[in-house]
Amino acid sequence: MLDEHQTERPVLTLKDISIEFPTPRGVVHAVKHLDLTIHKGRRVGFIGESGSGKTTTALSVMQMLAEPGRVSTGSIDLGGTDILALDEEEMRKTRLSRVAYIPQGAMNSLNPIMRIEPQLWDAILAHEPGTSRSDLKARSDEALKSVGLPTHVGQLYPHELSGGMKQRVCIALGIILTPELIIADEPTSALDVVTQRQVMQTLKDIQERIGSGLILIGHDMGLMAQSVDELAVLKDGELVEHGTVQQIIEAPKHPYTQDLISSVPLVGGESFLNPERRAEAPKRASTEPLLRFDGVSKVYGSVTALHPLSFTLQGDKPQIISIVGQSGSGKSTMGSIMLGFNPPTTGQVLFEGRDLQRLSAVQSLEFRKNVQAVFQDPYACFNPFYRVNHALKFPFKQFGLSQGDAHTQKAMEEACVAVGLDPDLVLSRYPHQLSGGQRQRLIVARALMLSPKLLIADEPVSMVDASLRATILSNIYDLKDKYGISILYITHDLATAYHVSDYVMVLFKGHVVEAGPPKAVIGDPQHPYTRLLIDSIPWPDLKRSWGHGGEDWDPSKEEAEALSAGTVYRGDVEGFDLVKE
Amino acid sequence: MADHVTDNAPMTRAEKRQARRLRRFENPWLNPKLMWGAGLLIGIVMLGLVGRMLWNLDLVFTGSSQLKLPPVGFENLRKQPGVWGTPLGTDGSGRDMLSLIIIGAPNSLFVGLLASLIGMSTGIFLGFTAGFVGGRTDDVIRVLSDVMITIPPLLILVVFQSSFGDVSLTMMALLIAGFVWQSPTRLIRAQVLSMKQSGYVQMARLSGASTGHIMFREMLPNLVPYLFGSFIANVTTSIVTAVGLEVLGLGPQRIPTLGRTIYEAINAGALIQNLWWWWGIPTLLLGVMFVGLLLINLGLDEVSNPRLRKLS
Repeated sequence: MLDEHQTERPVLTLKDISIEFPTPRGVVHAVKHLDLTIHKGRRVGFIGESGSGKTTTALSVMQMLAEPGRVSTGSIDLGGTDILALDEEEMRKTRLSRVAYIPQGAMNSLNPIMRIEPQLWDAILAHEPGTSRSDLKARSDEALKSVGLPTHVGQLYPHELSGGMKQRVCIALGIILTPELIIADEPTSALDVVTQRQVMQTLKDIQERIGSGLILIGHDMGLMAQSVDELAVLKDGELVEHGTVQQIIEAPKHPYTQDLISSVPLVGGESFLNPERRAEAPKRASTEPLLRFDGVSKVYGSVTALHPLSFTLQGDKPQIISIVGQSGSGKSTMGSIMLGFNPPTTGQVLFEGRDLQRLSAVQSLEFRKNVQAVFQDPYACFNPFYRVNHALKFPFKQFGLSQGDAHTQKAMEEACVAVGLDPDLVLSRYPHQLSGGQRQRLIVARALMLSPKLLIADEPVSMVDASLRATILSNIYDLKDKYGISILYITHDLATAYHVSDYVMVLFKGHVVEAGPPKAVIGDPQHPYTRLLIDSIPWPDLKRSWGHGGEDWDPSKEEAEALSAGTVYRGDVEGFDLVKE
Repeated sequence: MADHVTDNAPMTRAEKRQARRLRRFENPWLNPKLMWGAGLLIGIVMLGLVGRMLWNLDLVFTGSSQLKLPPVGFENLRKQPGVWGTPLGTDGSGRDMLSLIIIGAPNSLFVGLLASLIGMSTGIFLGFTAGFVGGRTDDVIRVLSDVMITIPPLLILVVFQSSFGDVSLTMMALLIAGFVWQSPTRLIRAQVLSMKQSGYVQMARLSGASTGHIMFREMLPNLVPYLFGSFIANVTTSIVTAVGLEVLGLGPQRIPTLGRTIYEAINAGALIQNLWWWWGIPTLLLGVMFVGLLLINLGLDEVSNPRLRKLS
């Protein structure tokens, strides 16, 4: 099926590769009998959930498997060289000069106490000792230019660069010796959508220019569709499907691939939510609005994270209000102000008519019981010292909801079942024994047990595997009607916000730039910033190339335009009033 | 994971060794360093306990035996052979060396443990206060501990102890404790500051937990490996300080300690008279104590920092 490229010798041939990790409980087979060939100039995506063996396979090409992992069968051929037969010194020479690896979170792999330029020189000197200074300078300048950075960046320290710039420096570092193969392991996972698109374009351009092979590791089907030529789908260490992007996206054969593609929520696409659950929500006792922002702003030193903002969430009918924006837009600041963790600089936050900053001890406990949160990082939310049921049991008792241990146990089990977890399997485990998805569902279960009136979900699914995102979001969505919980959904993901929310606010540099019902705001954006966000989403659809920007897409113009444009109000929904400036 | 487990065939010797290493990797407390270190220290404590039961401790008094007798199997300069009545020899005033170390070695360890315990408790209290309260309180505690770290403890303690004259072991431990609280304070403050931002502390705050609960139930258990390590390091410092003072002739005058014995040996010219057992045996015991503490510390490092654990 890929015959037209096989005239030349392939860059990389993996034959029958198996990788195993001996552990006290027996040998774990991380990769099982994998065969794959990568041709010159081709981009191949490795896609699969965490633990599916995609990074392990890539690392074996570099002979960089973590101890005690080892390649047990098969052969790795890099442009005619048998990688597994190389000794440590030969392998050292091969790395970077013939195969470069851009690790996950590469932005943190730069040395913080060295300027960029000497770090690039180190890479050259390690392979070509004795290169003259002027030669080094010329090559580092060229490498920086090739990734679209001005040459003066070489004189800066890593902390002076933004995340996207650091990621490009890492790409420059990877290509400086023009390798035959580049391995990029989720190179954009820590970046927001706009920067992600820029960085991916840089990587594609440069790979085309030097004509090397590229392995792109990721779990985002949309990003893959926009970036690679061939896709290799991995599941539990096995290659379940391999073919061109076209074949796989248009006619996936393996059920797992079909799952992966259908689990990506699309703006305007089919909803992943369960529309049937429309139970009558319990009535609220208070007549005061549930949450009111009154001229709330937040200033950190000279930076204004949030400009004065006023709104009222009535809360009589449970609603989901989405707050959308890039990192640094002030959306998380808003979340922590609502939770009372962070006092506003001006204005006040009223919960059922009471100022959050002036609560007595009793009122404070009452507020905590009524306002709960689901945070971004499911790995950090459990105390590693306790079994996971501590996180569920403790607040239940603390808020006086418990009527004895048996009742607590029953409530915990019910909550687990409600989010689709088997209580016998998860409740008595330690956090590190559970996957990210299981933990995040437990946090949702915790919120459910406490049946708060308001739930603040701060990027609840951004660190969870793609296939689980929809499940967790529909868990949260179902709570809304079943328990009458109003939800503030803070996210950078417009597609999910489109589906779950009743009202959307787009935040840009601390200002609300566009607000209204999701069908209007996300389905038909008017403000330049909202358009920019929508354009940056990688669609898992080949006909819809990444937005309509083309090769020389430059977001800075649109951002400048966005700064000068005023707020666009796209209509109101009952129960939520945003005060128009 | 069950389907990944394959071979049930009998293991070869190399595989058994590998399996043992892996078990050790999984359960860090089965650490040879930790076990050896603990063994050495327990040995010293047992010497004190068993010795008290089996040996006649009245031999510790001046003139209870012949002067300057060598250990059994050796001869001193006067050609006197060692006798079984005093198996490790006697010192310049006729005290039995075995009785001296039975009483002295646990004393030195006691001073170290007590001083470290008091220092750690102060450190935990101050570190948590600084990390949690913040602001002015944090500034005061931080500056105080930073300043105290730069002052050489022996200098101050020499002045203190010479003005106190004869002190008890407990008093000495208290004085030393005044100089070992700074590093745990700094360590715990730093950890508390970073843990305060962690997800599980935020979750606990969301759960309406009190400050006390967050400090002692959520944070402290996760600090245990650090506290252990810091504690053992402090015991070492405290013993070194105590012995230093004793060798200078300060500290308790009437209670036998290892440092005091070395002081007396040096004072009586044991080095030129070739009375090696007089200073050698206490020095050896101190050596054993320090090696034991060092091994425990290295072992604990591996427990709290999995990256230091090696499979080979």
